Order: sequence, then structure tokens, then C-alpha cells
Amino acid sequence: MPILDRPVIIISALLYLAVCGALGVWSLRRTRNARDFWIAGQGLGVFVTGLATMAAAFSGFVFLGGPGLTYRIGLSSLFINLSIGFTPALLAWVVAKRLRLLAEVREVYTIPDAVLARYGSRSASGAAAVAILVGTIGYLGAQLLALGTLIEAVLGLRSSLGDWSLAAAVAAGLAVLLFYAVAGGMIAGVYTDVFQGALMVLAAVAVFVYAMAAGGGWGAVVHSIAESERFGRQFLEPLGKTPALTALGFFFVFGIGVLGQPHMLHKFLMIRDPRRLKWLPLILGSSQVLCLLIWLGIGLAVPALVAQGKLPPLGKPDDAAPVFLLGFVPEPLAGFAVVAILSAIMSTADSFMSLGAAVFVRDLPRAFGRRVENELLWGRIATVAVTIAAAVLALLYNDLIALLGTFSFGTFGAALVPALAVGLNWKRVTAAAATASIATGTALNLVLEFLARQTFFPSLPKPPLPPGALPTAVSLAASFTVLFAVTAWTGRRAPALPEDIRAVMEA
Amino acid sequence: MAHRFALALLAAAAPATLLAFCIGTGPGVWVAALAGGAVFPAALIALGAARDGRLGSLRWPLLFLGLFLAAGLLAAIGWSNGGPDVLGLPAATAIMIFVLIPVPLLLLGGIFAATFDRWFLRPEDLYRVRVAKRPDERLGNGEEG
Repeated sequence: MPILDRPVIIISALLYLAVCGALGVWSLRRTRNARDFWIAGQGLGVFVTGLATMAAAFSGFVFLGGPGLTYRIGLSSLFINLSIGFTPALLAWVVAKRLRLLAEVREVYTIPDAVLARYGSRSASGAAAVAILVGTIGYLGAQLLALGTLIEAVLGLRSSLGDWSLAAAVAAGLAVLLFYAVAGGMIAGVYTDVFQGALMVLAAVAVFVYAMAAGGGWGAVVHSIAESERFGRQFLEPLGKTPALTALGFFFVFGIGVLGQPHMLHKFLMIRDPRRLKWLPLILGSSQVLCLLIWLGIGLAVPALVAQGKLPPLGKPDDAAPVFLLGFVPEPLAGFAVVAILSAIMSTADSFMSLGAAVFVRDLPRAFGRRVENELLWGRIATVAVTIAAAVLALLYNDLIALLGTFSFGTFGAALVPALAVGLNWKRVTAAAATASIATGTALNLVLEFLARQTFFPSLPKPPLPPGALPTAVSLAASFTVLFAVTAWTGRRAPALPEDIRAVMEA
Repeated sequence: MAHRFALALLAAAAPATLLAFCIGTGPGVWVAALAGGAVFPAALIALGAARDGRLGSLRWPLLFLGLFLAAGLLAAIGWSNGGPDVLGLPAATAIMIFVLIPVPLLLLGGIFAATFDRWFLRPEDLYRVRVAKRPDERLGNGEEG
């Protein structure tokens, strides 16, 4: 049944968009200066920070792509999430405290600001800004395409608008996103993230319960998969049909690469009191685990339903979540889940709108030794410009943008992790080492991933990597290696650090 | 000492992981699991958690984390067919879902909270950082670089 014939789903989606708009109005009055606009006035509590970090981190991929990937490759898809057990503590121990303390002593509103403060190098912060811009174009474009596709389906626009339906749906989603992000900056971004994060957690838990019930309970679900000819026990095995190198690459990239995700790290700059970081790992980790129940629930229930003959085999694995939600859960919960998917997409998108705008208004000008007057006004203008540019690029070159979106996480990781994770905890890392590592991570990941995935230029060679090796894992390891090698070469003595930065690194 | 050891581990693990992902077959897989999957997370946490170069009582949980991740990953990739069934799943998959995710989450999250005030960020640390703030930043017009 088309979503259009489900009025509860449409009403839920419209209500949700209205609440986001209302939060934008509420935030408008609280956004008075650049500090409010970029880092929510540095006034967040730990619960808000944890939930907003989770909402920014988990895009629509967790709700749509994850179950689809599981349907395609089995439970080996869980290697992407396996590191979730330690990543919240890793973030807190390795980067959160130092970033927040840097924001205590310097005007640090963005990750390139933090790089500039730590290394005192405009080359390093400029390289970080470029890496963030490249990743943002892909991530934001991919989120806007996903948002348009979902709104197009919910409102049934294709039948009435034909070829223009996706563009119209993207425009409708953009209108709401732009309204609250421009009016309220990160205050609106963070509080909508909290609202969206709460919806995501609740919907994920509820859908998991229904998914297990639809398949006849946990035992029946796993038994029917294991016994079926189509899936078999291999579906449930840790590696299944996935090469070990790919699975380990997932674990390495998502486990360590998380330390370089600017949309997550940016939230740590916003916490009111650094001592509130105490509970961050437990809040962030538990909300992430609860959200991932939807991945596991639909990822197991759909193959079980296919194995039990209650559902025909899927033509496209990515249909797993929509087919299950529209066919097997009550309409109010389906509406709630659609809203949660919208939430996942929009909470990631609004974070990148802010990061992309900051690159132009703050990061690149500072890398060139300039400052923009009236950052609040220009920040709002840049948010509109960056978002519309990303949307237009996404609509014109949707294959290319979707491709960029798939490896943006890796680009951020390869570019930023060594300079931040090691550089914020070891005084000997030099600006030259940080710049070299950021440049290596960005360039190598772009080249390797593009060569590995592109189909636009058949004459281009594939990267010289063994079967199953993830280009991003290679780029991340190479970026670390370059950081250590250049530090060994240039940093025989620890560089002289300003007193405030030294205090931050010794705290 | 712990800080230096963590750095030495990371400096060795980085090229080892790079090589492992570039070679791919045979020992490459095991090196990728041990260096990229176990050493990196534990050593990075040790780097961030060390105070004056030491880890204090944190060294044992972090050593446990490294061994735990190594054992879990080796079971996941090395156990033929995932082992016997547990809760309807191959044992290695059950370990991934029911052990490798929740145990570190609760253990590390709990230890982080328990040691936060006396080890990770003490009131005097924060005071020292605030005192070190440059005068121009106190006035809100700081400019660096």
C-alpha cells in the first residue's frame, strides 16, 4: 500500500516538521551572537550533548541502509557497529576533554579552530577545513537526497509532479531545515537533535519489539533463517560471505575513525561545564545501542519473514525497512518510524549545514589570516548558500554525490583522527606532522575510494589493493603512519607551546 | 611510562595495520585484527587517560580491553562456521552481539565515571587551565595563529 494511503503517516510527518519549525522559532530569540550560532552559547548539559551527538552521528543509514545491508550480507554487517561498545569511552578519554578545555582558553567554535589553537598553524587548520568541506559536500548532499526521497514517498509526489517530484521534495525538506538552522543556528540544531534523537531511540526500541513478534519471537526468527535455503546458517555467522579483511576494515574504520567525525566532536565544544563529561560515555553509548536495535530487528525479521513465506524475496535489499514498516507494524508505529527516519536524516543534515557554513565564514578566512565581521549574519547567509549548493549538486550529480556520501565518514576519519587523537595528547606532534597527516588522509582516501567505486571513467584503474581491503582503512592507517614519521623527523624536541595550550594538554 | 608505551604501541601498530590491509591475505588478516582492532583502541585510550605519563589503576582495565577485543575478534574471524549454536546463533556471533558490545560499553563507561573526579579531570586541573587563559581571551577578543 502506498504511504499516501496512510493518513496517520502523513499527519505524523507533518506534525514532526511543524515541531522542528517551532523549535526554530524558539531558538531564534536565544541566538544573539556568533557563539550562540556556532556552539549553542556553550550552554549544554551532558544529557543534551549525549543525545545530540548520537542523533548527529546516526544518519538515515542506520534506519534504512543498515537493515538493507544485513539482508544482503547477513550479520557480518554488524562489524560496522561492533565498536560501539568502546567508542563512547574512546571519544571521551581521547578527544572530548581536550577539545572542551581548548574551548575554555581560546575562542574555539569549530574543529579547525581547535587545530589552529593546538598547532598554531594556519596550514594545519586550513587543511582540516578543506577536509571538512569535502566530507560535508558528500554527507550533506547524500542526506538531502535521502530526505527528498523519503518526503517524495510519504507525500506521494511522483504521481502528481513526475520528474520534478524529487526536486520538489528536496525543496520541501530544505525549507524546514533551513528555517530552523538559519534562525536558531546550533541552538536550534542541538535541541532539534535532542527531540529527533529521542524519537529515534523510542522508535527503534518499539520497531525491534514488533520485528521480533512478527517473526514469531527470537528463537523462531533465527531458526527460520538458519533452516532456509535462501539464507542458511551462513547468514548468521560472523563473517558470512564477507571477507575477513572487509569485516576488520569496518571495525577499524568505524572504531577509530569516529575520533575524527566533526559533527560529533563539534558537540563537545558546546557542553557548559567540562566536568559534566563524566556521564557522556554511558549516555551516548546507551542511546546508540538502543538505536541500533532497529538495524538488528529489521535486519533479522525481514529475512525470517521471507524464509517463513510471509514475505516475497526483496527485489532491492534497501527496501527491507520500508517493506517491513508498511506491511508488518501498526500504522501509528509506522508513522512514528517514518518520523524517526526523517529525524535521523535531518539531525545529521543540520549538523553539516553548520559545519559547512563555518568553513566559509570562519575556518578558511582564519586559515588565510582574516576574520569575518558579523559572523552571525554571514553564518546565516553561508548556511543558506552551502545548503542550497549541496542540494543543487546532489540533484544535478546525484550519483557522484551519493558516492561521495558513502565515504565521507572515512574521509573525516583518515584526515582528522591522527592530528586530533594523537596530537591533542602528545606535545611532540608538530604542525608539519599534523598538516602532512591531514593532507595525506584526505587525498589518499579521495583517490583510493574514487578509483575503487567510480564507474564514470571505465579506463581508470582500480586501486592496487587486495580483494576485500577497504580503501578507507588503508588511508586511515597511512595517515597515522605519516603523523608518526613526520613527527619523528621534525619533532626531536617538543615544540614550544603557549602556556594555555600546555595547561590544556597537561590537564 | 604508560604514555610512552602507548605511543610506542601506536607507532608500531600504524605501519603494521597499513601493511596488513595492503597485503590482505594470510598473516595480514591476523595483524589487522590485532593491531587495528585491539591495539589501536586500547593504546589510544591509554594515551588519552595517562596523567603525568602514568595510568595508575586504569592500566588493568585497559589491558583487559586490549585482550578482550583481540580474543573477540580472533573468535569472530577464526572460529570455523562461528562455532556451536548459542541462543540460536553461532557462538561467535552471539559473543559479538551479547558480549563485545555491552561489556566494554558498561565497563568503560562505568570506569570513566568512577575515575573522572580523581583522575580524569580534577577541580584543580580545571582551575589551572582557567588561570592559564590568556588575558586577551579573557576579554573575549583573542586571536591566534
